[in-house]
Amino acid sequence: MAKPRIAMYWTGGCGGCDVSPLEVGEAIVDVLSGVEIVFWPALMDAKRAHVEALPAGSIDAVLINGALRTEENMEMVRLLREKAKLIVAYGACAHLGGIIGLGNLHSAQSLVDTALGEDWQASAPVPGANGDAPPALTAGVVPLSDAITVDYVVPGCPPPAQLIGQFFRGLLEGYMPDVGHVFAEEKALCDQCPREKEDRPIERFVRPHEIEPDPDKCLLDQGVVCMGPVTRGGCEAACPKLGMPCTGCVGPTRKAGDLAGGMISALASLVRAGEEGEDVFAQEDEILDGLVDTVGTLYKYALAGTWKRGSGGGGK
Amino acid sequence: MAEQKHEPKIAAFLCRWCAYAGADLAGTNRVTYPPNMIPIRVPCSGRVEPSWVIEALREGADAVLIGGCHPGDCHYVSGNYKTRRRVALLQKVLEELGVEPARLKLTWVSASEGMRFAQVVRDYVEEVRSLGPYRGQFGAPQELHEVEENGGQVVREAVSHG
Ligand code: SF4
Ligand code: SF4
Ligand code: FES
Repeated sequence: MAKPRIAMYWTGGCGGCDVSPLEVGEAIVDVLSGVEIVFWPALMDAKRAHVEALPAGSIDAVLINGALRTEENMEMVRLLREKAKLIVAYGACAHLGGIIGLGNLHSAQSLVDTALGEDWQASAPVPGANGDAPPALTAGVVPLSDAITVDYVVPGCPPPAQLIGQFFRGLLEGYMPDVGHVFAEEKALCDQCPREKEDRPIERFVRPHEIEPDPDKCLLDQGVVCMGPVTRGGCEAACPKLGMPCTGCVGPTRKAGDLAGGMISALASLVRAGEEGEDVFAQEDEILDGLVDTVGTLYKYALAGTWKRGSGGGGK
Repeated sequence: MAEQKHEPKIAAFLCRWCAYAGADLAGTNRVTYPPNMIPIRVPCSGRVEPSWVIEALREGADAVLIGGCHPGDCHYVSGNYKTRRRVALLQKVLEELGVEPARLKLTWVSASEGMRFAQVVRDYVEEVRSLGPYRGQFGAPQELHEVEENGGQVVREAVSHG
């Protein structure tokens, strides 16, 4: 069998996804010798013109990491879609909008103003960028599936070694799951987490830096918002094992559907119910008020995938 | 196109034991209220998933109304208390997102309060009308105007709400 021809491309990302395949350790030797790399800007010098010159459908799998933030991102992913048999959304940004998607809390213009100063003109070259003008920002960040058809998802920020391994094994052995598959567990992360979960009522929310968590007990039981109940397993609870809460990078389980929605429902059930006879609502609100930065906590990765900037319906 | 008066669209999740029955009673008593509300019957207000509220706003509702039994009257004992906590959290999220928390409202209406139900709907329709249409504007409040103007066309053409 001919080696699968692959490509990796970055859009609005941080570069973490590009280096993440090294996470698989020595297996990287098998991966690299088992594939033919056609295009991977982080690894080798190849330009857009090279991709344009390729026949349609001639790349077996294109892994795309990063969210879509610029006009150029849009053009490139459409071009890659045309050249690819399979498109893989690689990492939380491509999958859900990711950290980059938090940019949607601000308008494109105010982001540019903040980064480059208000005097800067759209057509002017960026200071220090070889005289090139940057590509125009789109109105809002969107995940990959908003622009093109995505065949598989390798989730995570960046994807954990186990999931990268699963994907490459499938590709190299020529055995891939049905299109649409997300390379992660169907079950929630709590299932893989060694911490003991008692579903204790939450009396007070605490942020991770405010406590020295009990090493064996569930973080949520200790008042730290851990997204484990609504996030797909796959990372083997890397963060909770180290005492940090899960922040949801692998994305929602099918059951939860939506990270924030699922977590709000979980938290509403876990908060200690107010005692009858006193002002029940006030007691509960006092606990709920202790939850700070709800957007950054519940939508750390899925904001752009859930809330479309300027695209809500509204009465016609 | 001439500027028309904006007719708000409100998705209403109504508990079958109370608010929905109250809406029915308003109907049999021929009490009228504006047709801006789209009623969706649920077995208990506690059945309303937070993600449904988010989805309703995302898919074209200007606001979401949840109607449940008065505290103490829920047929499943405490479904409505849980709903209240969910709504409190959702409103916190909306506020941080820069979406008016008033676009989500929780109300208690019993099966015998047909008149009250109609009044709640009338008042809420006016409140939502004053908020204006929801077209996905969120983010830092001082920037909202600009977002509306830009309309998000660039991404809009590629968006599919699959
Ligand atoms: S998913 Fe995480 S690691 Fe990958 S590009 Fe985005 S921020 Fe970086
Ligand atoms: S610490 Fe987090 S992942 Fe582990 S059991 Fe608790 S909620 Fe689940
Ligand atoms: S049965 Fe009406 S709110 Fe629970």
